[in-house]
Amino acid sequence: MAVPLMSPQEERNHVTFTALMRALSHPGREQRLPDTGLAAFVAIGDALVDLETSYYTPHDALAAALVRTGARFLSPLQARYQFYPQLHDQHLDHLRVAPTGDYVAPEDSATLVVGCVIGSGPAVELRGPGIRSAIEVRIDGLPAAFWSLRAGTLRYPLGWDVFLVAGDRVIGLPRTTRVEMIE
Amino acid sequence: MTLAELARPAQDYSYAFLDEFAKREVRRRILKAIAIPGHQVPYASRELPIARGWGTGGLQVTLSIAGPHDIVKVIDQGADDSVNAVNLRRFIARMTGVATTSDAQLATIIQSRHRITEERLREGQVLVLQVPDPEPLRAVEPNISLAREMHADADYALMWLGLYEQVVRFGTFMTGASYPVVVHQRYLMSPSPIPRWDTPMLHQAAHLTLLSAGREKRLYAVPPYTDVRPIEFEDVFFQVENQQGRICEQSGAVNKFMNEIPQPDGSMCYQASDTGYVEKLVRRARGEPVAIGATYYDDDGTFYHPGYLKEQEPDHR
Repeated sequence: MAVPLMSPQEERNHVTFTALMRALSHPGREQRLPDTGLAAFVAIGDALVDLETSYYTPHDALAAALVRTGARFLSPLQARYQFYPQLHDQHLDHLRVAPTGDYVAPEDSATLVVGCVIGSGPAVELRGPGIRSAIEVRIDGLPAAFWSLRAGTLRYPLGWDVFLVAGDRVIGLPRTTRVEMIE
Repeated sequence: MTLAELARPAQDYSYAFLDEFAKREVRRRILKAIAIPGHQVPYASRELPIARGWGTGGLQVTLSIAGPHDIVKVIDQGADDSVNAVNLRRFIARMTGVATTSDAQLATIIQSRHRITEERLREGQVLVLQVPDPEPLRAVEPNISLAREMHADADYALMWLGLYEQVVRFGTFMTGASYPVVVHQRYLMSPSPIPRWDTPMLHQAAHLTLLSAGREKRLYAVPPYTDVRPIEFEDVFFQVENQQGRICEQSGAVNKFMNEIPQPDGSMCYQASDTGYVEKLVRRARGEPVAIGATYYDDDGTFYHPGYLKEQEPDHR
C-alpha cells in the first residue's frame, strides 16, 4: 500500500497550522507562513475555518475569498475567527465585543488575525507561558488603543487570542501573554 | 480546465488517515488548548481503526500535526517495542510517511503512553501524551458537569480536602500515577498516568506537551516554559518515587525510573523503563559513537530545576 500524499492545499494548510502552533507556543517569536500579504490571511482562513465555525472580516476581498471555506459570516459579536488585514480605530469597537468565551468554556472565544508591521514602532515586552523570561518585540501599524483594549478585555481565562501578521511572518499572542509597553 | 486537472489522483486513504475536516477541527482545538494551558477543550474524536482507549486521543493529535518531514517516536510505558507502541508507530508511518526512531533526541514528535523520556526534550519537539481519564476531579466529583463548573470557579477545595485526608490517614500522599498538577496558577490538570517521577518534567519545559483523551473527547496542552506545580502543602511536600539504590541490570543506569522485575527467588531486579535511553547507554558501553542528551534527573537523582522538589523532613507529622 502506498503512503497517502498531501494535496498542495493540504500541504499549505499543514505548513500554516504548524506556523500558528509554534507562534502560539512561543509568543513573540516570528514564524513563517507559506504566503504573504492578503494571501497569508487566506492561508490562515483555509487552515482553520470551515463549515463548522464562523468568521468575520471588514475586508471585502478577503470576505469573498473566505466564502469558499463554507464557514458562516457572522457579526464581530459572534464570529469565532476574525480577520483584520488593517486594524483601524473604528474596528476597536468590534474587538470590544468579540467573544471571550465563558468560564465553563473559555475556548468558545474569538481568534483574531490582525495585520501589522513587525520590527518597527513601539516596543512591547511579553511575559508568560511559552516565554522563558521575557521577550521584546516592536509592533507598528496598530491603533494606539489596541494594547489597553486587550488588557481591558482580558480576564483570564476569558479573552481572545491574536495572531499578528506582517507579510509572511506571524507572531502569536495568546491570552496568557502579559504585555508591557516599554517607554 | 479539464476534469483530470481538477481531480486528485486516487489514493487509498486521506493523508494521515483523517480527512481534512477532522484534522482542521483537531488543529483549531489544539490552538485554543495552547492558549488556555491545562483547560480541557472538547473535540469530536473521530473513529480510527483502533478501539477507543488504546491511544486514539494521542493518535488523532499526532496525525493532525505530523507532516512528511517529521520523525516520530512512540513509546508505551517507556518502551518502544511493546505491541501497542509498535502498532501505533507503524500506523502513523504508513499514513503519513514520517520517519520513525527510538531516539528521543532525533524525534520531532513523541507520542507516549504514561511516560516521559529520561532525556530532556528540547524546544520544537512536541510530546503527545495519551490520556485515559482527563478529569483530575473524577475521584472527588464523579458528575462531569459539576466538575466542569468546579474548573470554571477554580474551586478545588475538595481536592485539597482529599489530599489532607491522605496525609491524616496514611501520613503521606497516596496518589501514584496521574498526580494532579496546577498549570499556570489556574487549572487543575491530570498529567495523564505518568509516574510522579515524570510529573516535574512538565514544569518550565522547553517542549510543547499536548494531552488528548480519545474516548473522553477532551484535549489539553502545556505550552513550553509554563508553571506546572503538583498540589502539595506548605509543610508536606510532593515526592517522586524513590529510585535510590536501584541499578538497571541492562545498562547500569542509576536514578532513572525503573521497572521492577520479580525473580523466582522472591527478590527484585530492575530495568530502566525508558528503553530508548537504555539502548543508547548499551551502545555507548559497546564503544559505538552515540549522542546521549542531558537527563531530567542526574545520576545522583537531582532534578534539573533546583529547588522544585523539596526534601521532606521525616518528622513532619
